[in-house]
Amino acid sequence: MADSSPSKRHKARRIAIYNHKGGVGKTTLTVNIAYALTELGKKVLLVDSDPQCNLTSYLIDASVVDDMLDSSETSKGKTLWSAIKPVADGMGEARLIEPAEINQLFLLPGDILLSKFEQDLYHFWSESFLRRVRGYRGTAALSALVNEVAAKHEIDYVFYDSGPNIGPLNRAILLDCDYFIVPAACDAFSIRAFKTLGQTLADWVRDWSTAISLAPDNVYLLPGRPVMMGYIPQRFRVYADDVAASYSAFLSRIDKRISADVGATLRAVDKSLAPLEYQSRLGLVKDFGRLATLGQEQGLPIWDVGNTYENERYKTIFHGIAKKIIGRAH
Amino acid sequence: MSQPSAKERRLVRDLVSHYEKNRRTFASFLVSLHEQITSSGKLTPHIHSIKSRTKEPSHLEDKLYRKLAEAKERNRRFTLTKDNLFLKVNDLAGLRILHLNTDQLPLIAKGLDDLFEEESYMRFEKPSARTWDDESRALLSGMGFTIKSRPSRPSFYTSIHYVIKPNKKTQYTCEIQVRTLMEEVWAEVDHTLNYPHRTPILACSEQLAALARATSTCSRLVDSIFRSHVDLARPAGRTRNAGK
Repeated sequence: MADSSPSKRHKARRIAIYNHKGGVGKTTLTVNIAYALTELGKKVLLVDSDPQCNLTSYLIDASVVDDMLDSSETSKGKTLWSAIKPVADGMGEARLIEPAEINQLFLLPGDILLSKFEQDLYHFWSESFLRRVRGYRGTAALSALVNEVAAKHEIDYVFYDSGPNIGPLNRAILLDCDYFIVPAACDAFSIRAFKTLGQTLADWVRDWSTAISLAPDNVYLLPGRPVMMGYIPQRFRVYADDVAASYSAFLSRIDKRISADVGATLRAVDKSLAPLEYQSRLGLVKDFGRLATLGQEQGLPIWDVGNTYENERYKTIFHGIAKKIIGRAH
Repeated sequence: MSQPSAKERRLVRDLVSHYEKNRRTFASFLVSLHEQITSSGKLTPHIHSIKSRTKEPSHLEDKLYRKLAEAKERNRRFTLTKDNLFLKVNDLAGLRILHLNTDQLPLIAKGLDDLFEEESYMRFEKPSARTWDDESRALLSGMGFTIKSRPSRPSFYTSIHYVIKPNKKTQYTCEIQVRTLMEEVWAEVDHTLNYPHRTPILACSEQLAALARATSTCSRLVDSIFRSHVDLARPAGRTRNAGK
């Protein structure tokens, strides 16, 4: 790669739809929001940084994904691991790979082997606090790769898809993001998880600001300032005779707990990390039901796979979310 | 000294709490610097030991009250604020390098210069030396150190000081002191007796002054022992001039 320590960050806005709680529909939301943005004329790069590769499997045929994973350690490898492996091996900088292009979306495919990089990131993190350039470089390796791909393809929005955990890979991703969006499921466990989510993000930002203030000049650093852009409640079941009670109660609890447990915790670190006007829903997404499965099977937005009524409805919802994202990501 | 006003107490409390909130950044700074020094092959052969500490908040509080009192006495404004505290008080993170003899000093100074260069540290100010001893003064100014003296508080303190910053933007600084083990003994005794308040016991002050002379003599002796050791280990006929 020509220069994995870019002095300038490309203008593409980097966003993670992140919640360490699993099963909240991160991947489905990410793909559909990305599709909505492309339909609004934006260029979107998806980065499948979840070693489970769900996003990649959503967009690419299973047999092709299998081939990719089989050859990811060769010189022709096309996955994120193929790009990052030299950094993990201590062999220098990331190798620039070409993103896959699917229906106008750009994708840096995931790889199960990316989980190996977690261990390295753990060491890079400690080394950053010892003011070692190797540590800062390693921590920002994925960011530098994304920077280069975004610049080459003139990307407007980058979306990271992340695994459901608070490991070092997600830490590096969130600290690279300009914004994060919280997908929230309507259940008690999901609501309880906001507290750990807020605390974890606050700790990451605070810790990284220490590393930044100690860093030598002219080192490419993760910016470490993910701003909360809003949240998207979804997967509420609509029961015919109990609509109001089943989700309006959950929705108001979500509104309240997100502000208290994520917004306020971040604002205690720095007010600009969670502007009050962004502590609101970007949209509401009903349980995708059968459409999620259909969308995944065909690699299409869910408004291209249902009946006319459903399609119109979901298109409106996701275009609405996409427009809000454009409005907030200035 | 007059009692500080409620407003002054609040100011000091704010400054100390600002420091407490940032103390772990200073601590990280020290850990990284300590690690870099101990892994530098150019420095370790000349270093006896390293001590480092972040300032105790209560000591900062004492220092701020002293500065407040000094400002009042001299009819000057007390200018410390949260915005400039870290740039004006440079010993919040302190690291001390102890060595055995004076001949090691130029080697340590060179080793530090190289380390600052390689690790991209910024010098916050020119390295300076504090000494009361004419002979040391000649040696140190010959090595390019600015000699600082404080007529307001005459002291027998002898040490080299560097203040560095991790990068241009940051406000965090770290003070590095370099001195011999002999000087360390004197300074530790002095510190125990005179910090934060000077001992009122005249005999102790006089004994400290005598200890400073003894320290100077011992330093001379240690230097001479090492020079003899080096000279006598060489083949005959190549002894260097002992009167240097």
